[in-house]
Amino acid sequence: MTTSTKSTVTRTDGIGASPRRPDGTAKVRGEFAYSSDLWHEDMLWGATLRSPHPYARITGIDIARALALPGVYAVLTHADVPGVNRYGLEHADQPVLAEDVVRYRGEPVVVVAADHPETARRALERVEVGYEVLDPVTDAESAVAGQGAELHPGGNVVRHVPIRRGDPDAAAEVVVTGRYEVGMQDQAFLGPESGLAVPAEDGGVDLYVATQWLHVDQRQIVAALDLPEDKVRLTLGGVGGAFGGREDLSIQVHACLLALHTGRPVKMVYNREESFYGHVHRHPAVLYYEHGADRDGTLRYVRARIYLDGGAYASSTGAVVGNAATLGVGPYDVPNVSVDCWGAYTNNPPCGAMRGFGAVQAAFAYESQMDRLAAACGLDPVEVRIRNAMAQGTVMPTGQVVDSPAPVEELLRRVRAKPLPPEPSGEPDLRTLPGGVSNTTHGEGVVRGVGYAVGIKNICFSEGFDDYATVRVRLQVVGGEPAATVHTAACEVGQGLVTVLQQIVRSELGVERVTVEPSDTTIGSAGSTSASRQTYVTGGAVREACLRIRDALGALSPAELGDKVLDETVEWRHRPTEELHPETGQGNAHVQYGFAAHRAVVDVDTELGLVKVVALDCAQDVGKAINPQAVLGQIQGGSAQGLGLAVMEEIKTEGGVIRNPSFTDYLIPTVLDMPPMSIDVLELADPHAPYGLRGVGEPPTISSTPAVVAAIRAATGRALTRVPVRPEHITGT
Amino acid sequence: MIPFDYRRAGDAETAVAAVAGNPGAAFLGGGTNLVDHMKLGVAEPDLLVDVTRLPFDSVDPLPGGGLRIGAGVRNSDLAADERVRTRYPVLAEALLSGASGQLRNLATTGGNLLQRTRCGYFQDVTTPCNKRRPGEGCSAREGYHRYHAILGASPHCVAVHPSDLAVALTALDAVVRVRGPRDGHGERAIPAAELHRLPGEHPEWDTVLGHGDLITAVDLPPLPMAARSRYRKVRDRASYAFALVSVAAAVELTGDVIGDVRIALGGVAHKPWRATLAEAALRGRPPDRAEFRAAAEAELADAQPLRDNRFKVPMARNTIVSVLAGLTGEEPR
Amino acid sequence: MRSDEPMGGFADDALVPADGEHGAEAFMPTRRTVLVSAGAAAAVTVAAGKGAGGAAWASAAGDTRVRTVGAGESVEVALSVNGQRRTVTVEPRVTLLDALRERLGLTGTKKGCDRGECGACTVLVGGERIKSCLTLAVMRQGAEVTTVEGLASGDELHPVQEAFIRHDAFQCGGCTPGQIMSAVACIDEGHTGSDAEIREWMSGNLCRCAAYQNIVAAVQDAADAGKKVRR
Repeated sequence: MTTSTKSTVTRTDGIGASPRRPDGTAKVRGEFAYSSDLWHEDMLWGATLRSPHPYARITGIDIARALALPGVYAVLTHADVPGVNRYGLEHADQPVLAEDVVRYRGEPVVVVAADHPETARRALERVEVGYEVLDPVTDAESAVAGQGAELHPGGNVVRHVPIRRGDPDAAAEVVVTGRYEVGMQDQAFLGPESGLAVPAEDGGVDLYVATQWLHVDQRQIVAALDLPEDKVRLTLGGVGGAFGGREDLSIQVHACLLALHTGRPVKMVYNREESFYGHVHRHPAVLYYEHGADRDGTLRYVRARIYLDGGAYASSTGAVVGNAATLGVGPYDVPNVSVDCWGAYTNNPPCGAMRGFGAVQAAFAYESQMDRLAAACGLDPVEVRIRNAMAQGTVMPTGQVVDSPAPVEELLRRVRAKPLPPEPSGEPDLRTLPGGVSNTTHGEGVVRGVGYAVGIKNICFSEGFDDYATVRVRLQVVGGEPAATVHTAACEVGQGLVTVLQQIVRSELGVERVTVEPSDTTIGSAGSTSASRQTYVTGGAVREACLRIRDALGALSPAELGDKVLDETVEWRHRPTEELHPETGQGNAHVQYGFAAHRAVVDVDTELGLVKVVALDCAQDVGKAINPQAVLGQIQGGSAQGLGLAVMEEIKTEGGVIRNPSFTDYLIPTVLDMPPMSIDVLELADPHAPYGLRGVGEPPTISSTPAVVAAIRAATGRALTRVPVRPEHITGT
Repeated sequence: MIPFDYRRAGDAETAVAAVAGNPGAAFLGGGTNLVDHMKLGVAEPDLLVDVTRLPFDSVDPLPGGGLRIGAGVRNSDLAADERVRTRYPVLAEALLSGASGQLRNLATTGGNLLQRTRCGYFQDVTTPCNKRRPGEGCSAREGYHRYHAILGASPHCVAVHPSDLAVALTALDAVVRVRGPRDGHGERAIPAAELHRLPGEHPEWDTVLGHGDLITAVDLPPLPMAARSRYRKVRDRASYAFALVSVAAAVELTGDVIGDVRIALGGVAHKPWRATLAEAALRGRPPDRAEFRAAAEAELADAQPLRDNRFKVPMARNTIVSVLAGLTGEEPR
Repeated sequence: MRSDEPMGGFADDALVPADGEHGAEAFMPTRRTVLVSAGAAAAVTVAAGKGAGGAAWASAAGDTRVRTVGAGESVEVALSVNGQRRTVTVEPRVTLLDALRERLGLTGTKKGCDRGECGACTVLVGGERIKSCLTLAVMRQGAEVTTVEGLASGDELHPVQEAFIRHDAFQCGGCTPGQIMSAVACIDEGHTGSDAEIREWMSGNLCRCAAYQNIVAAVQDAADAGKKVRR
């Protein structure tokens, strides 16, 4: 690593400050160009015909009538995919366009390009696809057990990860068991999938798209199109939220195929219903847990079996299984661990990345168990957690020694120490009662409950993945002023990465004027905007490039550069991680852990089953808050998504078919559902990370859900072993 | 959305004639439901007659103390009307519990009453639905039916009516004024409680209106007891969601007993459900929770919940009890 | 909307003013050779649009004569959009949202669900907030429409826009135009007496990034500033 004798410059717009977002003005003026806003004079509109069946054999596809429709320029099937008709993040198991079999309702079968979205839609209606409907596999647990049709060669287990630590037969004085369920959650970003593919004169294609990882898209597109990498160029369009749901392909290959086939630019935009079919969801889970402890609450062992429903295609199921397994006991020091986690293929909608993946499902179960353990031992829920809290130096169930701060106890103490919201008294504002403004009673039957939870998440990519970011930083004098530019392929999805990168450059180089160029594939990969990793990895790469520029500057100040341009391209990676041992799950699989704790306070109308989350306070260690305002935004946003999973969000499937693909039927929290949060941000530096920082985005999503449910349990005395908790679960009917 | 003809109506008579003369025509009010259904392919009218500029946009006093609400009065304006807020609070509360500010600025009184069910199968044209295509079968009965009916359903349909406004109007004994092709220059009056119908053999008919019948106004009777009225809506999130169960009620105490009472339920049936059995059980009885509960149970005795909406029965009971307790000043337990 | 609006570029506001002066071009992407924003394309679309012929409204608002626009036939709809008189030639089935986005190139108004369920398409019509995805453009003949693009005066942001930036009231920004339009109306309606009241009256605008706490603060702040100005 480059060293420099100069110290980082302290500034009001650098590291540790919260300067204005560079995209702020454009966003509030309506001028920020999202991928759905793109336009080309000659463009056609693409549309996708999807399977109406969760599982069926295709007996024939007739496109003749669609092609005959005036205004239709292309109708493409699997036969028109020039390269490998298989893609996927971890396993290339998903057809670009279905061939002989469809494995989920909504699977793309045919794509068309037409002069108007309506023409495209009408063309789809004229495509005739013959199906022989097959019996779908819809239960992950029985799929793992080998029941039902084999959906992919090799069987229906995508991945099984066992974790074995200590004595597999450990016994304990106090034993608590439970079976828990987590429903299928949707990322529900506001800007549906969209992009514009423009054919190029060199036989290639330029794709403007909202995504989380340009290069992994590119890798999959070139394989499908059978083109060299330099012929498929991607540029990031404005991204209307992601939360994991844009890590897999949606329109990417289809739009490029249509553009190359027609020689015309092709725009594709999903509508909301199609979006529910067009991206992966959070894995629904069934989790069986057994915790053994001494009478004083000290954990002796944890045994667990976790079943994750991966749906029809693998997507990132493998990594999700790895997370759920390795983080399966939570942020606790447990001497004896036996965890088995399976990810299954079924004919349900494909599941993959969503904020906190794997860790979210496990946390609901292990935190529910910790509350049961507290009750069994007659302990306070915080006390039992503190008694078992991991810390720096703790050995994880994988054998990995935690080598940076792990302030689990402090986080718990902090949320406990926060003042409780005042008890409701006198004539309450109706809007503050469970049920909102329509709550016209005076709060009879309303019971308050308090619940706690703490969670753990691995930060960055794990298990031996070569996780790196490429950046280019240039410094020159423009108009008498030193100015820096940063070029990366890292995807700004709203989290504020571009602000953070500017801040790093300002602090490192002492220049005020920093421009972050559009993200594209003319530079090397920056990895995914996921796993809470971009500030760590791309931020780390920018820092490294700046340090090199500082070395090159020598004694000069940036303003003294004259005509010189200092230009550094850096490929930066974090410490390597290891694969897990396939039988014992041992290995230094993760580079960093993130922790957050929540205390939820709820008012529950026990007669009607209505819940009002009165407070959802949080403490999180972020190592170093590069941008404190953005950190708070991440914690608020992650906590809200956890609240949504706790009390309202679930994609309901019936025989593999989504029954609520709309924002009327799939509810996400409104401003009225989310309380203002009191947040403590700890900055305990991780000595191995740039600036000591710790990834921020995911940990608050993890502990939010179990904290809210614990509070509802405290108010109602109900077991509540499934999320989301519905009114009927509270009233017990 | 399929193409259609569009006309803007200059007066009610022409509007009625235009729709009556074309079996594929429909009236267009605020559009919040119809335009949505046209996008989904649930509705495919070949002519829309825009009635939003007809002179039915005011709330006027009626001789004798009632109010006449023009069919074109928007939900937000009606909810904000001082006379409504003070004399019929149940109505204002019902309106404000529905949708969002932006939608209430579009939605009209008449259109709100005529909105169609939110049943997911009704809205999904790829599934069988007797309401959309009579004779196809009901997908909800054995499907995803958490939101569906517990009262008055038929083997052919278990959908519920989604309007909050209609529930309040039913409790208030409001009267819907209709001008149809057979009415000449006149109008006919239909009690709000009789506007919507139970599905029976014909779930495709939501109301008793015929093709070309245009709602022109809703009359609120002078109902002094309505000054003490409430609407409560139980739903999956605090705002901007349809009801699992809702209750509109008004109570008049005479001495120590209930002199008169009006109760209507939403989210439980194909129509706003006037709880006449509960009302009868309560008249002359003391206003306490045991009485409220017994009355609610009497009303719900014939409930026939589906596999996944059994919870609605106790939820409806508890909501009735809760609303009545609140209205009568019953102290918390 | 400027036709040279860069896509996905992140220059510093303070240094790259909206008019692209101060040598900022050197740091901006040059996508406009490939991509033009909808603003520029709209001129092409409108000019090429089908003439309204006999189906046109003789006058806009207040015309109560019954006329029919045939299926598939286009009609000229005259609107005042952000203070400018605009005419769009559309079939009756075109929503106000699509007319704004696809015909007038005003893509600031977002399509999040197209079913009235998210609030991203909120605009003001006659000063009142509505969801533009559920109203047909043809119904709005003669209406005054304000979109997010119409709030600022040149480089000077509307107080609500300024408050949203100051309070970090968005992340991805996908809901933001709708939130801001809703907030402008919410303040105008007087529904800002308390945080709880703001929450109730802003609950028709979903924000998946859940910047809600900051949105409430921004609305309250802008409302307070407005009160001070009025005094």
